[in-house]
Amino acid sequence: MTMKASAFARPGSIAVALLLALGYLTAWAVPPPLPADPLGTVVSLPPASPHWVWVNDFVFPHMADGQALLLDGDNGHFLGMLSTGYGFSRLVLAKDGKLVFSPETYFSRGTRGTRTDVVTMYDPTRLAPVGEITIPPKRSSNMPMMGDAELTDDGRFLLIYNFTPAQSVTVVDAQSHKLAGEIETAGCALVYPTGPRSFFSICADGSLLNVHLDNSGRATARVRTARMFDVAKDPVTEKGVRIGDAWQFVSYGAVMYPVEITKDGGLLPGTTWPLVTPAERAEQWRPGGLQQLAAHTGLNRLYAIMHRGGPETHKDPGKDVWVYDLARHARIQQIAMKNPSGSIQVTRDPQPLLFSACIESTTLDVYDATTGAWLRSVQNVGTTPTLLITP
Amino acid sequence: MRWLDSFAESSTRTMANRTSRRGFLGSIGAFLIGTSAQLLLPVARGAHAADSQGAAKPGGAKPDNSQDPTSCEYWRHCAIDGYLCGCCGGSQTACPPGTEQSAVTWVGTCHNPADGRDYVVSYNDCCGKSTCGRCLCNRNERDTPLYAPFESNDYNWCSGSSKANIPYHCSTARIVAVAK
Repeated sequence: MTMKASAFARPGSIAVALLLALGYLTAWAVPPPLPADPLGTVVSLPPASPHWVWVNDFVFPHMADGQALLLDGDNGHFLGMLSTGYGFSRLVLAKDGKLVFSPETYFSRGTRGTRTDVVTMYDPTRLAPVGEITIPPKRSSNMPMMGDAELTDDGRFLLIYNFTPAQSVTVVDAQSHKLAGEIETAGCALVYPTGPRSFFSICADGSLLNVHLDNSGRATARVRTARMFDVAKDPVTEKGVRIGDAWQFVSYGAVMYPVEITKDGGLLPGTTWPLVTPAERAEQWRPGGLQQLAAHTGLNRLYAIMHRGGPETHKDPGKDVWVYDLARHARIQQIAMKNPSGSIQVTRDPQPLLFSACIESTTLDVYDATTGAWLRSVQNVGTTPTLLITP
Repeated sequence: MRWLDSFAESSTRTMANRTSRRGFLGSIGAFLIGTSAQLLLPVARGAHAADSQGAAKPGGAKPDNSQDPTSCEYWRHCAIDGYLCGCCGGSQTACPPGTEQSAVTWVGTCHNPADGRDYVVSYNDCCGKSTCGRCLCNRNERDTPLYAPFESNDYNWCSGSSKANIPYHCSTARIVAVAK
């Protein structure tokens, strides 16, 4: 046995030889090089899915950098975002889906200088601004609430709550894209649409200011109702939800106070009903969170974030969402949430999703809104997520 | 608009002194000028522990932080909502350098366990810079919704008549008077 033959006989040497041979073969199988990528490609979105959700974020640690983040609830994909300025509250989606309205505030030097308030209009497929309407620089700066800005029922006028601390509502013509005017609402806050030309604000004494508009957006009537809520005894939150011809408000003490819209445009208090049994009340179960109620009109269901605590915990998140049949005022489901929830929203379609977020977290949770089954969680969504809005 | 600010401050103090908290609510009605609040994070009561001096002792009893101005549990903070100015270069009564104290304010009524008295506390915001980001604290004793602004801590009171306009930095907790 020669030295050369002996070397080839070793197992390691055989492996090396095989690898070299494989290398030659692989070289012949290498695909052609990748082509150069085009420059300037930007994604456009398809028409909005009913299972998309806008996560509004006022970015509390850096309030000049408000954001609205768009995600797909069916797969958790992050689709894009908007930059929405200082002290951002919420987007308002056009009824026809062709525009996104965003009441925004800017300072000429970032956090100082001249203040300018605008309604920026965004293309919902390119997520790019396509125009803006300058409005009085008095948009309220507060914890984001859905009542900060809303469209009238026909989508014609955008209503924006002002607080300087004088209270008023800016009216923007969403059709001509021009400022229509301003309506004084002294002593009353926020906007709750009730028809194509009407809305109400909630007043400090528990009454409502019922406002009717003409076709130019000017107020034709401003009528204060009798007191509907006892603000001193058990105030309702300003976090009401609309279902058909009624707004549903809940009190700190877990009592529902419907406000019914009459055919002639009036406002009447509906029958109050409790979210909790006497035993649950004794255990201090109550609603909590920033966006603590959600509703599905087709199913006629109300969703409420619940927790246990004293009256001062009315903003606390909860680990439970209780579901009610509004026709019977009966609880039909209790959903144990995967994470603490401070904001919930339900999609409008017949197979709805339930979205859940919390301002102290950056996780968006997605559930089946009919079964309550957890579907997925999406991480790293924003900084301080506030209001959830679905198309 | 300094006259307005002074008027607001005076009005708030006068009314708060002569009425109970709920009476104040009922009597002021739609008269909003002179009340205040601050931006909040609604669920941040626990968040303070991370960067305040009031963290719980491991394995021990919960410490009494009711006299620590940098703690969310400080007695004056019973209805505060925002970053504590004492953690931001200021104090519970003074704004950090380069900011401006909002003259308009909303008031809370807090119990001081050290002397057994209730005090009217004014939560003036410090304004003109980005948020401080330290010692976030949210407590909601008797806090009301936005439609009752004079007892709601959900407004940013750096707006309106303040020269600094909107930018919110942190919140103070000034004693106005003994509550009667």
